[in-house]
Amino acid sequence: MIGGGSTGAGVARDAAMRGLKTVLVERKDLADGTTGRFHGLMHSGGRYAVKDPDAAKECIAENLILRRTASDCIEDTGGLFVTTPWDDPAFGDSFVVGCEATGIPVEEIAVSEALRREPRLDPGISRAFTVPDAALDPWKLVWACARSAQEHGAQILLYHRVVDLERDGQRVTGALVRNELTGEELQIHADVVVNAAGAWAGQVAELAGCRVSVLPGKGIMIAMNHRLVNTVVNRCKMPADGDILVPIRTVCVIGTTDVRVADPDELEVTQSEIDEMLDEGEKLVPGFREARALRVWAGARPLFSQEEVADTREVSRSHALLDHRDRDGVEGIVTITGGKTTTFRLMAQAAVDAACAQLGIERPCRTHEEPLPDSEDGSFYVLGSRLRAREPVPQSEEIICECELITRQRLEEAMERRRTGNLDDIRRTLRLGMGPCQGGFCIYRATGILHAVERLDHHAANVALLSFLQERWKGAHPILYGDQLRQARLDDWIFQGLLGVQHLPT
Amino acid sequence: MTYDTVVIGAGLAGLTAALRLADEGGRVLVVAKGVGSTHLAPATIDVLGFDGGPVESPAQELSRFGEAHPQHPYASLSIDLIAASIEWLKTRLPAFGYRGGLEENFVLPTAVGAVKRSAVVPETMAAGDLRAGGRFLFVGLGLKDFFPAYLADNLGHVSADSAVSARAIELETSPGGEADVSSVGFARRFEQSTFRNAVVRGLAGQVERDERVGFPAVLGLQDAGKVWRELEEKLERPVFEVATLPPSVSGIRLFEAMTAAVRKAGGRILIGQTVTGAEASNGRVEAVVVQAAARPTTYRAGSFVLASGGFASGGVQLDSYGKLREAVFDLAVSHAEDGPRFLPDYLDEQPLDRVGVLVDNGLRPTDGDGRPLYENLHAAGATLAGAVPWREASGNGVSLASGYAAAAAILESDS
Repeated sequence: MIGGGSTGAGVARDAAMRGLKTVLVERKDLADGTTGRFHGLMHSGGRYAVKDPDAAKECIAENLILRRTASDCIEDTGGLFVTTPWDDPAFGDSFVVGCEATGIPVEEIAVSEALRREPRLDPGISRAFTVPDAALDPWKLVWACARSAQEHGAQILLYHRVVDLERDGQRVTGALVRNELTGEELQIHADVVVNAAGAWAGQVAELAGCRVSVLPGKGIMIAMNHRLVNTVVNRCKMPADGDILVPIRTVCVIGTTDVRVADPDELEVTQSEIDEMLDEGEKLVPGFREARALRVWAGARPLFSQEEVADTREVSRSHALLDHRDRDGVEGIVTITGGKTTTFRLMAQAAVDAACAQLGIERPCRTHEEPLPDSEDGSFYVLGSRLRAREPVPQSEEIICECELITRQRLEEAMERRRTGNLDDIRRTLRLGMGPCQGGFCIYRATGILHAVERLDHHAANVALLSFLQERWKGAHPILYGDQLRQARLDDWIFQGLLGVQHLPT
Repeated sequence: MTYDTVVIGAGLAGLTAALRLADEGGRVLVVAKGVGSTHLAPATIDVLGFDGGPVESPAQELSRFGEAHPQHPYASLSIDLIAASIEWLKTRLPAFGYRGGLEENFVLPTAVGAVKRSAVVPETMAAGDLRAGGRFLFVGLGLKDFFPAYLADNLGHVSADSAVSARAIELETSPGGEADVSSVGFARRFEQSTFRNAVVRGLAGQVERDERVGFPAVLGLQDAGKVWRELEEKLERPVFEVATLPPSVSGIRLFEAMTAAVRKAGGRILIGQTVTGAEASNGRVEAVVVQAAARPTTYRAGSFVLASGGFASGGVQLDSYGKLREAVFDLAVSHAEDGPRFLPDYLDEQPLDRVGVLVDNGLRPTDGDGRPLYENLHAAGATLAGAVPWREASGNGVSLASGYAAAAAILESDS
């Protein structure tokens, strides 16, 4: 299994649950790629109801399955489609027809009711529709899949990059992988290789001599410091840029764009893209530009195309399963790409079905029935659950990251579990440093704790501190203004003025 | 209400100007949106610690530094004036026992185990000076803003030239059974003899004969000198404080001492009130408008000091369109070049770092052509353009000297 995004983790889990001896290799950390950089929207399918009915049907089916099987990763915010003064009110009619045709529960509600639920929306909206959109935490989702896979015997190798695929004639027999932290190389023999490298799937397929045209479609997203809305809000129009606002955890995320790029590892965010997002945000929530913006980032959608396509928005959001035995005459490898995080489970199922077919075995998929770890009781994540856990016992433990309410014990446990010297891995596990101060207060503390828990020498601890500081700056600097600039300047005073980290030996 | 001077901002720059003017009999009002950056930074007076490399002697470097950076506040503040401001502070706040001067910087350990150079330091921090080398013991108290093992690990490698050895010890202190005590919480505990005695007992037999003992800078809020002296006596070792993350206990001490002195000298201080605008005519500022709880209030005065800080304090602001603005008087703000406002590498100097209010030699804000806008308005502290204090280790030095100079300019124009 190549790739540690939602699809790859889903494949590893599905395969392991079907009793296949499975190993997942990921060149970085789990959910480091596109999965960890999406807006957090679990689609109802409404977005595609008019334009891409196949994708819409997949979305609503998977949405309902994930509500049963991944509830701990989901906040059931509900979704609204609203017609702003910039949108054609008649689209609402096509939208309802599209939703009904694809099985998406949709209801038009009074504008007054929409504004009662979301008072910050532009009071000039003329129509509003509810759909079962929700917020999906990508890290919880991927880690839950990975843990389940491990419980079923799968091995997960992080920071292992596929250097080459082993070939025996027209058959792929395994992979040569390199440990990116130690440089050690490892040969893995496999009867079937599943390529779920997402936007990087073309690069992996090439190692098997197969040509797979994956168009990386860059989408930028901006996290605002507050939940300006508590419901997923979509513009009721044909999908375009900057028309979704997703409340997730303590922030809300506006997205996105879609620009074809050559290299999924080179995703530059431009000032004009940022301005476009902010201006579109104004149309949903007046005063958006005055609100505090935390970060901007870009993800690379894996859009599969049989032919060359100029505009990536014209490529279907449905996934693509490529059985290279039938397609290219190369046995022992299947590629699963395209699709979206909402449909990751379905994609995993399709990929494992194809792998089983190549192996000549038939074992039923159970991931649509069996809940993920921590989702067994079917209760959704509720914003404020960390606070609720802390409030009755405020002085029982130190809180290391006040923004995300991470206690010292939780942090130490995560460090011991992850066995990592990289604070960004801890961030993806606990949301360390993802709040308003962007690590201003927790980075020094977490480094001090990491130094002790992992017995790092001063050099490794300094690298951990400086790397995380740089990682936080990466998403902050293109969009620094207003109160977040005040925050960043405070962080300058802490790290450069008070601590003098620029003078640390590394 | 009419005052001789209204000072906007209650950081070190504003309070220095206010105290000097009040000491001279002026009717002074300090208005501030909140407490100043004193609460974020230690009470050391860093004049110039780094300029492409470590600065050992500010006195030797300052004139060259001013020439190299003609827009820096130090370019228009003479060494004599900077020295005078330091002597003034030492005399005016005797309880801090400030030591040092412009001739030689102290070299102090930071909480991460890097070093920082400061010209003048409170007596409670002086024994942390690494210049002579030696053996250092850093004591952790369970404060989450101080990791002595990490500090000591780095310190042993930072100062290769002077023989410094460092080690750490963690004392189990859970004051009042509470697990999450802030630096201010610890400072209050240190004012209780039972807590001090427990710390001394915890260290009994653990300190080597020739070690100096470093604590996080939480040795009391009100009377740190007394706490520090008692620890030195009981441990029979030199004891020193290491600055920790905000809130800065030593900075709070400075704020408390300065505001108390201003009040005692007859000044008035309003914290929590935002100056939202000003009235001016004939090249003079007549009044500032303050957004008070009930309604806007106008304060008239003969002179004004703008010490509202830079980006960190909101004195200078940047909006989402990239427009820069000084918040009270809409003064001209120095511009960065066209191009990106920030660079991808965090530790690079950023294009917007030196943004601030441009002033003439009398610290009067100027228009784009260098002419003073108002004859009775002076700017001081982090509001001023040209400095990158967190990189230069110049923050409190600029604030003290420019606040002192603003007061001097006002006194001179009055006489």
